[in-house]
Amino acid sequence: MRLSIGRSYLVAPHCVKSSRLISSSSSKPQIPLFLRPPNHSIKLTDLHKWYNWAKTLNSSVGSSFVDTDNGPDSTLLNRELKWLVQDAVEDKSVSSELGNEIEQNPKLGLRNVRLKVGIEELYRLWKQRIDERRPFQYIVGCEHWRDLILSVEEGVLIPRPETEALVDLVGKVVLDNEALREGFWVDLGTGSGAIAIGICRILEGGARVIATDLSSIALAVAGYNVQRYGLQDLIELRQGSWYKPLQDVRGKLSGIISNPPYIPSDNIFGLQAEVGKHEPIVALDGGSNGMDDLIHLCDEAAVMLKPGGFFAFETNGEDQCKLLVNYMENNHKGRFCNLKIVSDFVGIPRFTTGFLKEAI
Amino acid sequence: MSIFTFRKQVCYRIFSLFGNVLISRHRLIPKLQCSSAAPQNCVLWNHGTSDFSRISGFPFSTLRLFSTQVAVEPSTSDGLTVEGILGNRWTILDESESDWRSHAASIAQSIHLIKKRLQWKKLMMRLELLSVELNKADLWDDPAHAGKINREHGSIMSKIKEIMAFERELLEHIDMIKLAREENDTELESESLSALLTMRRNSKEKELEALLSGENDSCSCYIEVQAGAGGTESMDWAAMVMQMYKMWAQRRGFKVTVMEEMPGEIAGIKRATIKLDGEYAFGYAKAEVGVHRLVRISPFDSNKRRHTSFAAVAVIPITGDASTHVQISESDLRIERFRSGGAGGQSVNTTDSAVRIVHIPTGITATCQNERSQHQNKASAMAVLQSRLNQLEMARQAQINAQHTQSLSDITWGNQIRSYVLHPYQMVKDLRTNYEVSDPNSVLEGDLDSFILNYLSISLDKDGDES
Repeated sequence: MRLSIGRSYLVAPHCVKSSRLISSSSSKPQIPLFLRPPNHSIKLTDLHKWYNWAKTLNSSVGSSFVDTDNGPDSTLLNRELKWLVQDAVEDKSVSSELGNEIEQNPKLGLRNVRLKVGIEELYRLWKQRIDERRPFQYIVGCEHWRDLILSVEEGVLIPRPETEALVDLVGKVVLDNEALREGFWVDLGTGSGAIAIGICRILEGGARVIATDLSSIALAVAGYNVQRYGLQDLIELRQGSWYKPLQDVRGKLSGIISNPPYIPSDNIFGLQAEVGKHEPIVALDGGSNGMDDLIHLCDEAAVMLKPGGFFAFETNGEDQCKLLVNYMENNHKGRFCNLKIVSDFVGIPRFTTGFLKEAI
Repeated sequence: MSIFTFRKQVCYRIFSLFGNVLISRHRLIPKLQCSSAAPQNCVLWNHGTSDFSRISGFPFSTLRLFSTQVAVEPSTSDGLTVEGILGNRWTILDESESDWRSHAASIAQSIHLIKKRLQWKKLMMRLELLSVELNKADLWDDPAHAGKINREHGSIMSKIKEIMAFERELLEHIDMIKLAREENDTELESESLSALLTMRRNSKEKELEALLSGENDSCSCYIEVQAGAGGTESMDWAAMVMQMYKMWAQRRGFKVTVMEEMPGEIAGIKRATIKLDGEYAFGYAKAEVGVHRLVRISPFDSNKRRHTSFAAVAVIPITGDASTHVQISESDLRIERFRSGGAGGQSVNTTDSAVRIVHIPTGITATCQNERSQHQNKASAMAVLQSRLNQLEMARQAQINAQHTQSLSDITWGNQIRSYVLHPYQMVKDLRTNYEVSDPNSVLEGDLDSFILNYLSISLDKDGDES
C-alpha cells in the first residue's frame, strides 16, 4: 500500500504564489516547498551569496537561543539551512556545490539553477527563521515524521518525534491480537493527520480509520496528506470536538489513539519560541493541570471502545501518566485492564495505554 | 582447397586436440577418486555440476572429475601451451603491427597476469575443498551453509571456466593461423589475426576485472573518515579527504549519501560516514583503508608554520550475504537520542533527531543525524551497525578459513598509506606502492583511480602465486 510520493502530484491544482507562503486564513492547504514546480531561475553564485548570508546569521545566534528557551544552536540551524536548500532546488547536486566546490571553482557559479521559490523569498524566509523563530517545518511546509513527509502549516501542530512511538505501540498490539486489526480505529485531534496515516499503514488496510479535529485548517491539511499517501478510501476525516462526530460508532471502536493538548496553562508562556509563538495554542494548552482533555478522553473511552478495544494517549510526562492510570482505576473501577505507562525514547514516561475489559 | 573443406580439417584438428585433453584428464582420474566421497552422493554432485559437464562437452559420466578437469592445460595441435608461448619470449609489438606472435604473446601475458590476480592455485585448491564439501551427505542439513557453498562453488567455477575458455580460444586461433599458412589461405589468416587482436584488446579489460574479484568487491560500501589528533588542522584535513572521496565517487558514477557528519568546532569534521551505492564500490574503495597524512602550511596558524595532520579512513562493504548477516537482538542495543531537556513532547520543537546505537556485546556504535526524522535516522544507523557487525563476522569466518583470507582490506583503520605534501614541494605518494604524482590538487579533487588501481594490482601481483 506504500505509494511513492510523486514530485508532480499536487492535490490542490491551484497555483500558489511564492509571495504568499503564510496564509492561515486560507482553507486550501499549502503545498510543501519541495513539491512545488521549479518556476524560478537564478545564478548559482547569487544562491551562494544568500547561503553565506544565512550562515552568518546562524553563527550570530551561537548558543543564545539555547540559553533563553532551549531553542536551536547555530550547528542545528546550519543543518536546517542545508535542508531548506535541498527542498528549494530542483537539482540536488546544488547543495554540495554550495558547500565547497563553488569556492574552489568560481566558474561553477555562472550556471543557472532552478528554484521552487524566488531568491527574495529565501531571504525573507531565513530572516523569519532567525528573527521571529518561525519553526523550520512551517518554513519548508513539511515535517519528516517516521517514513512520511507530512505537509504542515501555521494552525496545525507539527508532529513530534516522540509521537512516532504511538504508531509502533499500535503495531505491537495488533501483532499480539490480530482481531484488533479490523474494525474502526480513531485518531482524536488529528492535526496534520500524522497518527491516522501512520496507524492506517501499520494496520495494512484491515481497519477503517476515522480522524477528527475541531479545526478546519487541520482537516484541510490532514486531507491533503491522506490524499498524498493514497489513503482516502481508508481514512475518513470528520470535524468536531473529540468524540462528538463519532456517535454512529459508539461502542464499536477497536482502538482510540490521541495526542491531545496536555501542557498546563501556566507553562504556555515560558515555552520555546518556536512552539509558544507559532504553533496553535489550542493544540497545546490542556487546562490548569494540563489534563482537561485527557480526562475527557478517558471517560468517554469507556463507552466508545468495544470490549477488548485498545487505547493509547500521549501525555506531558510521568505525573500525568500516573494520574491518568489512578483516575481510570478509581473512577472506572473494573472497566479497563492492562493499564500501562510507556516511556518515550529518552526514557520519560510518555504514554498511557490499556484495554477495555472483554464482556464476561 | 575450398574454405569449406579447410575448415573441416581445422575442426578435425581441434577435435583431436580435444582428444589429447581427454586423455590427459583421464590420467588424473585415479588420483582424484581416492579423495572423493562415496558413490551414493553422485546425485548431489550432479546437481551442482551438471551444467558444467554439459558445457564442456565432457563425454563420460565421472562426475567427480570436474574439479580437476579444469586443471588440465590446453594446448595447440602441436603442443604449444600458454606457458610455452610465454617461454618463447616473442617480442610484443604495438597492436597496429599485424604479427600474430606479438598478439599471442601479449594475450598469454594477460592470461598469466589474470591468473595471478585471481590467485589461480588458491582458487583451484578452494574449488577442490568446496567440491569435497558439496559431496558430503549431510550438506543440505544446513541449507544456508549449503547455499553458500553452492554459490561460492558456482562463482569460482565460472571464473575458471571463463579463463580456460579464453585460453582455448587463443590456442585455437593459433592453430587456425598455422593451418592457414600451410594452406596459403590469406583470408582465413587475416580473419584469425583480427580475432587475436580483438582478444588482445579484451584481455586488457579482463586484467582490470581480475583486480576486483574479491568476495565482496562488487558490493556497495560505507566510507568513514575520522580526524586524527591535532584539533582544527586535522579536522579540516578530514573534511578535505571526505570531499576527495565524494568527488571521486561522483566521477565513478556511484551514488553518494551522507550518513553522519560530526562537524569540528571551527572548521572541518571530527568524523563522517558516507554511503557509496554502485557496482564495485567496495572493490575500489577498500584500497583506501588506512591513515592519510597531510603536510602543509596551516591556514589556521597565524605564524604560517608547516603542520602535519592525519585522517583515518575505514571502508565497510554492504553485503547481501545471508551467512554473514548477523542477527541483532533488540535487547543487545542501547539507542541514544538527542535529549532536548525539559518536558519534551509538545513543549519542544526541534529538528535535531540524531540517533546513536550502541551494540552492547561488541561495543560497536553507529550514528546517524542527517535524515530528517528520528525514525529514518534510526533505520540508517541500524543499517550502518548491521554492516559493521557483518564485517566483523566476515573477519571471523575468514580467520577460520585462513587460506581464503585476502591480504587486502584490513578491517581496522590500518597503517599510514599515503602522504599528501603541499609544502615545501608538491607531491602525493602512496607508501605501499611508491606510486606518486606531483599534482596534489587533482588528487584532492578525486583523481584517485591511478592510486587505487596501482595498489590493487601490486598487492595482487606481488606474490608469485602462479608459477
